[in-house]
Amino acid sequence: MHPQLQDAIKQVSEQVIGKQQQIKLAFTCLLANGHLLIEDLPGMGKTTLSHALATVLGLDFSRIQFTSDLLPADMLGLNIFDSAKQSFEFHPGPIFNQLILADEINRASPKTQSALLEAMEEKQVSLDGETRALPTPFFVIGTQNPMHQSGTYPLPESQLDRFLMRIQLGYPDWQAEKKMLLGHDNTTLKSKPTVMSVSHFIEMQQQITQVNVSEPILDYILKLVTHSRETDGFPNPLSPRASKALLQASKAWAFLHGRDYVIPEDIQAVLPSVAEHRMRAALSDFNGQTSLSEKLLEAIDPLAA
Amino acid sequence: MISSARNHAHFILTLVFLCISLSLLEPVMGWILILVVCAAVMRGALYLELHKHAPSIRTLNLLALLSAIVLAYFSLQLGVLLGMINLLVLACSLKLMLLRSLKDYYQLVTCCGFLIGCGFIFHNSIGFSIFYLFLTLLLLLSLACNVSPSSTLNANFKRVAVMGAQALPITALLFIVLPQIGPLWQMPTSKSHQTGLAEQVSPGDIAQLSQSADLAFRVIFKDQIPAPQQRYWRALVMEQFDGKTWRVAPERKAIQNQYKRFNKEFDPALQGPYFSYTIIAEPTHQNWLYSIDIGIPDGPENANRIWQSHEYQLTSTTPLVSNYQYKLRSYTQTPLNQALFSVDRRINLQLPSQGNPKTQEWVKSLRSQYPDDQDLINAVLAYFSEQPFIYTLQPPLMQINSVDTFLFEQQQGFCSHYASAMAYVLRLAGIPARLVTGYQGGEMREGAFMSVYQYDAHAWIEALHSDKGWQRYDPTAVVAPNRVEFGLRAAIQEAGELIDSPFSLSRFSAIAWLNEFRMLLKDIDFMWTKWILGFDKNSQKDLIKSLIGELTPQKLALFGVSVIGIIIILLALFFLPSLRQKNQDTITKYYQKSEKLLQKLKIYRLPHQGPMDFAMSVESKLPNSLNQPFMQVTHVYMQHQYQKNSQQQKLRNKVLIKHKWSALKKAVKKQIKR
Repeated sequence: MHPQLQDAIKQVSEQVIGKQQQIKLAFTCLLANGHLLIEDLPGMGKTTLSHALATVLGLDFSRIQFTSDLLPADMLGLNIFDSAKQSFEFHPGPIFNQLILADEINRASPKTQSALLEAMEEKQVSLDGETRALPTPFFVIGTQNPMHQSGTYPLPESQLDRFLMRIQLGYPDWQAEKKMLLGHDNTTLKSKPTVMSVSHFIEMQQQITQVNVSEPILDYILKLVTHSRETDGFPNPLSPRASKALLQASKAWAFLHGRDYVIPEDIQAVLPSVAEHRMRAALSDFNGQTSLSEKLLEAIDPLAA
Repeated sequence: MISSARNHAHFILTLVFLCISLSLLEPVMGWILILVVCAAVMRGALYLELHKHAPSIRTLNLLALLSAIVLAYFSLQLGVLLGMINLLVLACSLKLMLLRSLKDYYQLVTCCGFLIGCGFIFHNSIGFSIFYLFLTLLLLLSLACNVSPSSTLNANFKRVAVMGAQALPITALLFIVLPQIGPLWQMPTSKSHQTGLAEQVSPGDIAQLSQSADLAFRVIFKDQIPAPQQRYWRALVMEQFDGKTWRVAPERKAIQNQYKRFNKEFDPALQGPYFSYTIIAEPTHQNWLYSIDIGIPDGPENANRIWQSHEYQLTSTTPLVSNYQYKLRSYTQTPLNQALFSVDRRINLQLPSQGNPKTQEWVKSLRSQYPDDQDLINAVLAYFSEQPFIYTLQPPLMQINSVDTFLFEQQQGFCSHYASAMAYVLRLAGIPARLVTGYQGGEMREGAFMSVYQYDAHAWIEALHSDKGWQRYDPTAVVAPNRVEFGLRAAIQEAGELIDSPFSLSRFSAIAWLNEFRMLLKDIDFMWTKWILGFDKNSQKDLIKSLIGELTPQKLALFGVSVIGIIIILLALFFLPSLRQKNQDTITKYYQKSEKLLQKLKIYRLPHQGPMDFAMSVESKLPNSLNQPFMQVTHVYMQHQYQKNSQQQKLRNKVLIKHKWSALKKAVKKQIKR
């Protein structure tokens, strides 16, 4: 595994105990320059995880708590008339930060949701005819409650698509929860040192583009997406954007594991987080059903010529 | 050991075997069929899980021993062919009871395929061909179920059907193109197969034959179709009479053999108009052929395989074991006066030493009344027409002095009675006469072909005139003119004597649409016989000729080679891409070989498992001595597959993986020995 990233992961693991795999996936997502959606019940450590990520990577961090009455201006900022200068002055909203935690994104009204998603896609904000660039890197970590909880506006498929990955945290296991109860304290969060600088992080993202993807790997990805399109049982087949996302994420995963080439296992590791939320019909609940991505993976032999 | 419970492959195989055995009802002995049914029921019970345990091998060995002894006892009577078929069916039924391993299963499938082939010895009508084709498909379905037991029956059937459909054009092409080689071995004949006319006739024999609606032969006329009165199909000439039975004269046979030895064929001089036709004869397991007088083979092809003998009779050089097609020309107006008069006279004046005193008396008086031969013959025919003779299929038995009884007391009989009596009478009067058996009539299918059935069998006589030669007389025609003009059915319709089988379609010939249907079936059967069963060297030549023009050996060779070449190229195009891919990538090949080595140790890669995951799982399952070399193989493979490689690196990897693979092989062998 990449030494520096290993340190970073180790540090985050101290905050979010027993979730090694999810933390690795979260790093992968950020390394692949994508936005992350964390979906789980309240109190499972979604906020803690995003906070820890920001701290470790030394990113500017802000948190927007989404509620049903949150307006786009509350998030993006607004022009206020300065009587002293006799002119409008722009007051940037919380979105002008490198890492945004959009908490409970599905509780906001569709209008606000789409303002955020537009910013995510364009990496800029248009306000009163003026376009303002968002800082680089710019990441959104959205958290959402499962659909069946009351007072939620589900994100449509087109917007779910903007998130490179979706992960679920799930309950910690016995040992981890015991360790947490024994004395872990959230207040120590702020005092943790940064592991790497922002410029270093951007450099890593550059290196990821150099990761080698061989012909068999491309074939494997294509076989997977084609299978989802040609076989019954996949309500939303994978789009070309999805196959691109899959490639990007697996490259980042390979890099995270200190390799400069992608192997089928990389794809298999990231596919559930990259593809599951794209293949699910928007309203269907993912809990308690067999995973579509597992079904997809089991159908294809990665070594077949 | 594989279980039969819910095993589609086994069940279908059982069904196929049962069907084949039942279709061989005639040649296979009853007790073997019972064994077959027992085996099938046993398999059925295992399949439905009504019963759990197959019989033990000891029981089966005992059963096999006993069956072998019984079969050996019977086999002397059965002859080679039937004995072997019985043996095969018996062995298969025992194997079916034993069926435990994959090896047993494959043996049984192969044997069933062979049995289907055997079925064609006994049945080759279109119905049976379709039936056997269906069985073959079922057999393939069973194999498909065996190979992929997890797919549904439907999916397997679809696969087999698609493959069968793909094979069809190739089959057709090969059927047309491949040289039609004659059978490589002689089909053993047995008495039970002889059908149709026999080499001896007692009055009453032909009456039996007339109950049979089996086909005797078919005729395709080139242009001219002879009138019903002309349709006397000569088959056999009988020249020896013992007072009851007519036989082919032994002297005649001796003469024929002599001529055959010197290869001197009878070659009658022919004159006048003629008509040409093709005959497709049903198998009789005999040599004689049918013709209208005077028939000669048309073309050298036919002349080579047909022998013309001095009684104007045609015989084939080989027995008719399957449908036999030949072309003839008939010169109807040429008199039959060209063969050895003296011999004919001598043979045909032979008389039984005693008996029939009344007839002798009567003939003496006739002779004194009519010194001229022709007058005498007319007088005899007149006697038949004036006296109240009855044409019947069921005449009373006439044991002693049968001709006397027939002529003066009973006065009922069938064609053979009339012919036999008249020939005898003429011989008594010093006129050489002989009995001819064959067929008379034929059912014409409009614009197509004529079918002649066994019930058209007939007997008539020939008398020798010093100038005109042999002249045909048919006393039956005098008694029952309908017989000759409209056929047997018309002649005795009122009598209600024809015992048709209740299912025979000809019984309903009065119902128009049924009759139409019967005719359609006949047409299909005719096409089948002509184009599939009768497709021999000559038809093949004709067909190819019509396709590519005049035949030269070079052209023919080129044609054959190109057709086979096309098939090979098509197959190559189909298979080459996958073959080439495999060849090109040595490293992948060695990785797959390594996987196979591990399979010997019962370690399988899950179909979706990547190489790394697989190597990890191997590591947890195997001792270090084994997983070390496999890990190395995996490393080389992964480097080759997923990393950027220089040309040099690629070459190095190729050498490396062979090395690692052989190390793995050694380790696996060691492990297995342990």
